[in-house]
Amino acid sequence: MKASLTRRTLVATTAAAGVLALSACGGNVAGGSAESGEAFPSGPITLTVGQDAGGSTDRIARAIAEGMAEDLGVAVPVVNKAGANGALATKEVAAMEPDGQNLVLLNASLITITPLAVGEDEAVNLDNLDVIAGLSQDDYVLVASPESGFETLADIQESTGELNFGTTGVGTGSQLAQAVLFAQAEIDGTAVPFDSGSPALTAVMGDQVDVATIQLGEALPQIEAGTVTPIVTFAKERSEFLADVPTAIEEGYEVPVSQYRALAAPKGLSEDAKARLVESVETVQGTETYQEFNQQNILTPWEVSGEEVVEEWNALAEQYKALVEEYDISLSGE
Amino acid sequence: MDFFDPVLNGFGVVLDPQNLLYCLMGVVIGMLIGVLPGLGPAATIAILLPLTYGIDPVTAIIMLAGIFYGAQYGGTITSVLLRLPGEASSVVTVFDGYVLAKQGKAGTALGIAAIGSFIGGTVAIIGLTFLAPLVASFALDFGPPEYTALALVGILLVATISGGTKIKALIAAAVGLLLATVGRDVFTGAERFTFGNLSLADGIDFVPIAMGLFGIGEILYNLEERHRAVSAPAKVANVWPSRADLRKSSGAIGRGSVLGFFLGILPGGGATISSMVSYAVEKKRAKDPSRFGKGAVEGVAGPETANNAAATSSFIPLLTLGIPANATMAIIFGALLIHGITPGPQLISEDPELFWGVVNSMYIGNILLLILSIPLVGLFVKILRVRAAILAPITALITILGAYTIRNSMFDVLLVVLFGALGYLMKKFGFEPGPLVLAFVLGELLESNLRRSLLVLEGDVSGFLTRPISATLLVIFVLVAVGPMIKSALARRQQRDTTRVSADS
Repeated sequence: MKASLTRRTLVATTAAAGVLALSACGGNVAGGSAESGEAFPSGPITLTVGQDAGGSTDRIARAIAEGMAEDLGVAVPVVNKAGANGALATKEVAAMEPDGQNLVLLNASLITITPLAVGEDEAVNLDNLDVIAGLSQDDYVLVASPESGFETLADIQESTGELNFGTTGVGTGSQLAQAVLFAQAEIDGTAVPFDSGSPALTAVMGDQVDVATIQLGEALPQIEAGTVTPIVTFAKERSEFLADVPTAIEEGYEVPVSQYRALAAPKGLSEDAKARLVESVETVQGTETYQEFNQQNILTPWEVSGEEVVEEWNALAEQYKALVEEYDISLSGE
Repeated sequence: MDFFDPVLNGFGVVLDPQNLLYCLMGVVIGMLIGVLPGLGPAATIAILLPLTYGIDPVTAIIMLAGIFYGAQYGGTITSVLLRLPGEASSVVTVFDGYVLAKQGKAGTALGIAAIGSFIGGTVAIIGLTFLAPLVASFALDFGPPEYTALALVGILLVATISGGTKIKALIAAAVGLLLATVGRDVFTGAERFTFGNLSLADGIDFVPIAMGLFGIGEILYNLEERHRAVSAPAKVANVWPSRADLRKSSGAIGRGSVLGFFLGILPGGGATISSMVSYAVEKKRAKDPSRFGKGAVEGVAGPETANNAAATSSFIPLLTLGIPANATMAIIFGALLIHGITPGPQLISEDPELFWGVVNSMYIGNILLLILSIPLVGLFVKILRVRAAILAPITALITILGAYTIRNSMFDVLLVVLFGALGYLMKKFGFEPGPLVLAFVLGELLESNLRRSLLVLEGDVSGFLTRPISATLLVIFVLVAVGPMIKSALARRQQRDTTRVSADS
């Protein structure tokens, strides 16, 4: 505990004093990691996750960390710091020393969607981070309860009753995807936010709400068992795991929403450290164990460079902002 | 016979030496981490998950399940000995358990809790074996209006189960409800009492509040007491509950098993409410309710049985519907996926070996836990012989460590200290922390489900009464709320009548 306190104070000092505090801060292994040109990594690399242990983000972090530890020859502990959709962890890591010893697992929604629902000063900016690489893509699927009788988007459009749609929370892809789709398809509905995917899915199964949008990995077992009916997915292309279900884009609506995940470090990483990290991620992505992990967790690989991640996410953020304004959607308190 | 074949085959799976070994490992790990507040079963399973990749799926899930229900056993130990309830469902155990420990009857409390947990767990597994598909749909029938009504009943019980003055309990409960509103509003994203601090965006966690108010508050209070009078170290008598204790608790254990089994099926809050209902029922049934809060054995037996039964029955939605009922189940869900097994309605028919292997391993796991408890109870109660000057700092350390591990954040440590100070002041001025903590847990459940209900029902309040389950719960609420008032009004009138009669004569 004391060590952590000291460390934090030092990190704060470092922001002002620059390189000065570096050698003292690193402290843990081999002393002087500060001098440039020294071998990277100089000790354990901490991967911070802004979500609780056990969720899909956490599982991805653990899978990549395990592979990287093997490749880099140092321990890569995963540390969960849940809070504010991951903003807490991301801001904390962004303020750390850019020596490559501290990484964070990013959720795209934190950058592209959350800013639409919360105040600007709480939003996270990609400018403070060096994105290492894109990892994978987790698709969203709109599912309907069997009692609702909905099988296609047209069924929902034709229905006359009041429509309740479950979301996995405010400022999530689940909320945005449905709000934009229903606005474009001129469907009236009431958003019912749940705490996460599982209770929202349970509510559809029990016909407490008519439809909900859930991450594919969570919904697939129920879709296969026939307890919920898939309507559309929101990815740009059809998911290989649900090849029979059309995308919202195929149905003629502009709603490209997926949960992308990427690995990032504080801004200002040295060329060497970054190159080594990128290489390590690529090595892990090439292993059979990791590819199997993606398959089992219903994740589509999205293995792009850090620059592409930044470009893509910034473009999505712009697009979502424009869509929300065009259709006069408020993500907070509809 | 078709039904029993896979069940018996399941026993064959469990009795495989390797599976037995992993089951033992699971329950021992579970028991140990249950003792450490903060590092819950969910985090432990997430950390250990990669280690299970190489082993057989049945074996892996048997071990992970063992961690989960083993932790329920371990949690009792800190609640009784150190006044540290690690989970919301063991808050009520503290009321009488800690008092019993101070009276030198820690062994009785822990022993009865172990026996109750064993029976509750076993009854719930039998229920899981025979009733799982039937009762699973119960979880689906529970929509937002039903949860709202359930939370209302729970909040009403807070007033019933707390000892001491009613008005002070109400004040504490009101503070608890207020604390539950802290955090980013889950419906609109608006900031509520967060003061622009991201650490408060998700509200306050249960652990710092409970650890601070109960644990640290008690330590501070005892420090002050020690300055006034030299208190003798607690006597540690009768390590095992007496026959009379067992007889007294048998009813509580029976009722706790049934309550826990049914309420445990409900995702979110089921286990907590089952322990509260159990305590309230025992207090109501007691000939002398004033014993509760002063060391009533039934006050430990009932809730501990109920929360263990609830822990077991929380497997029902996962194994039969594919719905994880709590954070730990969500991770076991992930573990199943990683092992290439899809949890869902088809699990029981497609993978009977796994289903029955895991279910039957729980019978064995519970027996193992009971056997482990016997020597360990004797060992653990010796902790109380340790001088306060040594025990208090260790307790404080466990508490702070526990708070830190929830989110690896110093902010939670700060909160523990703040709530510790509040807990000390509350104790000094005669306020019980129980109502505050329970109201805090239920407040969140009530608020979000009430607002969700109103969205689902399109603002039509009559919907609460037209849905059978929520209507029944609301009737119970009214009866429990108004019943005692009518009773005392009648008693008063009768008294007046008799006085008038005697005055007339």
